[in-house]
Amino acid sequence: MKLIGLTVNGRSYEVPVDDHELLLDVLREKIGAYSVREGCGVGACGACTVLVGGTSVSSCLARAVRYDGAEITTADGLPDDDPVVSAFVESRAMQCGYCIPGFVLMAKELLAENPSPDREDIVAHLEGNICRCGTYPEICRAVEQAAHA
Amino acid sequence: MTQTTPIATGSGTGVGSRRTRVGAEGKVRGQLRHVADRPAGGAAHVAVHRSTRPHARILAIDVSQAAELEGVDAVVTGADLHAVFGERVFTGPAFSDQPPLAVDRVRYVGEPVAAVLARDVATAREAAELVYVEYEDLEPVYDVEDALEGRAFVHDHLKPSVVFGDLRHLSGKSETNIAYEYNLRLGDAAAAGSEAAETAAHEFWAPPVHHVPIELPATVAWVEAGRLELFTTTQTPSYVRQSVADMLGLPLSHVRVRVAPLGGSFGSKMYDRLEPLLAALAWTQKREVRMVASREEAFMLTTRHGAEVISSMSADAEGNIVAASADVRYDTGAFADVGPRITAKSGMIAVGPYRVPNVSITSRCIYTNKPSAGPFRGFGVPQVTWSHESLVDELARARGEDPAAYRRRNLLREGDEGYMGTVIHSADFVGCLDAVTEAIGWDTPLDRGEGRWRRGRGVAVGIKAVLTPTVANAVLQLNQDGSATLMISTVDMGQGSDTIMPQIVAEVLGLDSEQIRVVAADTDVTPYDTITAGSRSTYHTGNAVRGVAERMRERVLDLAAARTGSAREDLKLDSGGVLNTATGKRYSIAELVHEHFGARGATLTEEYNFTTSWQPYDKATGRSPKVTEHWFAGAVAAQITVDRKTGRVHVEDLAVAGDVGRAINPTLVEQQLTGSAIMGLGHALFDELVFDQGQVINGTLLDYQLPSVKDLPDRLTPIVIESPHATGPFGAKGVGETGIIPIAPAVANAIRDAVGVRITRLPLSPERVLQAMNQAGVEE
Repeated sequence: MKLIGLTVNGRSYEVPVDDHELLLDVLREKIGAYSVREGCGVGACGACTVLVGGTSVSSCLARAVRYDGAEITTADGLPDDDPVVSAFVESRAMQCGYCIPGFVLMAKELLAENPSPDREDIVAHLEGNICRCGTYPEICRAVEQAAHA
Repeated sequence: MTQTTPIATGSGTGVGSRRTRVGAEGKVRGQLRHVADRPAGGAAHVAVHRSTRPHARILAIDVSQAAELEGVDAVVTGADLHAVFGERVFTGPAFSDQPPLAVDRVRYVGEPVAAVLARDVATAREAAELVYVEYEDLEPVYDVEDALEGRAFVHDHLKPSVVFGDLRHLSGKSETNIAYEYNLRLGDAAAAGSEAAETAAHEFWAPPVHHVPIELPATVAWVEAGRLELFTTTQTPSYVRQSVADMLGLPLSHVRVRVAPLGGSFGSKMYDRLEPLLAALAWTQKREVRMVASREEAFMLTTRHGAEVISSMSADAEGNIVAASADVRYDTGAFADVGPRITAKSGMIAVGPYRVPNVSITSRCIYTNKPSAGPFRGFGVPQVTWSHESLVDELARARGEDPAAYRRRNLLREGDEGYMGTVIHSADFVGCLDAVTEAIGWDTPLDRGEGRWRRGRGVAVGIKAVLTPTVANAVLQLNQDGSATLMISTVDMGQGSDTIMPQIVAEVLGLDSEQIRVVAADTDVTPYDTITAGSRSTYHTGNAVRGVAERMRERVLDLAAARTGSAREDLKLDSGGVLNTATGKRYSIAELVHEHFGARGATLTEEYNFTTSWQPYDKATGRSPKVTEHWFAGAVAAQITVDRKTGRVHVEDLAVAGDVGRAINPTLVEQQLTGSAIMGLGHALFDELVFDQGQVINGTLLDYQLPSVKDLPDRLTPIVIESPHATGPFGAKGVGETGIIPIAPAVANAIRDAVGVRITRLPLSPERVLQAMNQAGVEE
């Protein structure tokens, strides 16, 4: 066990972790960040996406010990007036909603790098995330709307 | 009459409104709590040791090393459970053929053989690897051909369950791998076919695929004062309560099944999945137990039936379809699950939504040594649609006739008695066909492409029966403040029932649907409901919800008449409360209920049942004058390009239409249609669960391809067709499956149009398209 420091959505936590523990499990079980979800365990669906210092990471593949001192953002920690959240709600970009937090964070990352992406940029950035309900048209529209907000 | 709903402009939140989905922002932020989000606390984590053999006798199981691992509480085998529960360990909706852990014999690679209870997931999984099983191999039955040869049998004899009473006659049948056979005979298909002017005949194959909802199956179980509590990912809480109560020998009152919002399901989280195992472990080990399946395990819990369809369709010189036959073989895997129902209900319409006077259908549910196949969005219909929509296309092309026009003149119409014996009503096949063809510009000139690229268009139509007979119940509490609480056992898994059911209540009672809350299914609280599946909820549960709201309206008006001394017939309820039409005076629900009880926060409660019936198939012909409560009609048109160098198909334009009777919430209907279309494109182009000697070889998301945002057509148009259903709630019926049914044949017909090859095996992968073009001599 090693004590690591994590800043999650602006709050500081000190958590004991084993070498093998995944960032996904630490965030869920020790910090209660349930918007971070396991979908495949192999980094292929994007449901477990978090932002580490603004960069997307598949937390199901990340060992927590390597993130000592990291600043992490999860979808449930986004501010009340977050434009990407609003755009997703207004664009009806959700069905079951299970995968959507991952898409929201990928959209945050994209818009930070490229404030006015075209459809091709959006598709290229989101293609690693799976929405099995098939909400892709609405998700693309949400990202476009957020870019114009 | 056919029309589409315009975007609602009013402020109402009742029927027809595009009100926002319940919990929309919570979903975007990931605030919804799913089953796996329940803190583990002191629960024992369960991991499963799985069979490495497709078919074998278990000679011995050595659990000693696993049990000795630090942190392991217990290791349980099928024999342990059988010693406690006897034959009751075998569960299943059609046949009692499914043990939570294998008893004496394994029937597929991946079947649970032993369960480990441990302090954490990692320890449980490590211990599961330390279980050693000695097997004596039996001859495996890998596919339906093997199964029909009958050299080996997956089960020694058939054991119909008590759930589906009509299978009783199969009890004890041995030396067969055919769990169920359905036959439909009308006229003389062979004679009519041989005299016909044109016949199209092929062997079709639709492979097994997996649902892959992104939320993994999860179950938590514990025993509390002699009662079993389950918190689980299921579409069928009422069924699970019965199944677990039967296994444990408990009254229904002593089993409680609760669900949380599902992160998708599509048919995968229903009937007996993790629940019997976790219930049996909690009961026998006296521990709270918890299991979240890994993605690899989820692939082995259920699949969609792979299906072979050997079929033909014949037309006379005028192009009227005169005969059709289909030999349908559903590969149901090691356990029948709901396969017999799929076999009958979907086999029954295996020659499509057409007027056909001579029909012969044989549909069989066949055991093999593979993971069990069960329900999947479409319930076996996409597999037969793959056949009939390809054949109809070939008949049209043989005549040089436009495939849409050819379908139009052969389609079943209002009032026709279909070949299955049931009269067609409120199913607008022609309206759907016309809408999708118009949407992609079917009648406009097509640039056929040049160089590597060839362009084509294809269309397909689908028919499906709604699940019948089924039972729905609703309980409504009208709260004193004018809000309401609705208790139903329909499970919202993304389809939006928690949003549309309140819209129905709001429409009847003049309430704001945003103030009406649906209670998450809890068998201690919410009333019996057959299942959330088969696109049945909008119609069945919707009618129960409409009925209970109407009873509540009468109750409120009675109460208002008594309290205000008004004549009952002068009173009406609308969005402003109760109005006395004689005096113009108004009374709010809040004051009426407050005064009636003398209490703030009091509630009025009503309940309502809605049950549909059917008439069983005639034994000789397989026909029935009422085989279903109603039909779903859908159509898809696609414009694609084929890269002749790579065989890759690109979808430029796709239109999908479904007749929903009346859209309770048009936005949610459109999302069901586009979502179905995208899932269906995966099935058309690349989705396939690949087996090698009974073993799944692509059961991870690194290997199993799913549609991503990259696979979106350039243009995708959902079209809501509203031919009001006479007995639907406000004319409505369901839409969850309609869109997925005709996708694959529409794409295949477009490939046929583009490069001239008829492909009969799914998926339409670049390799397969290229191979078909090479065989047909199509130039690169």
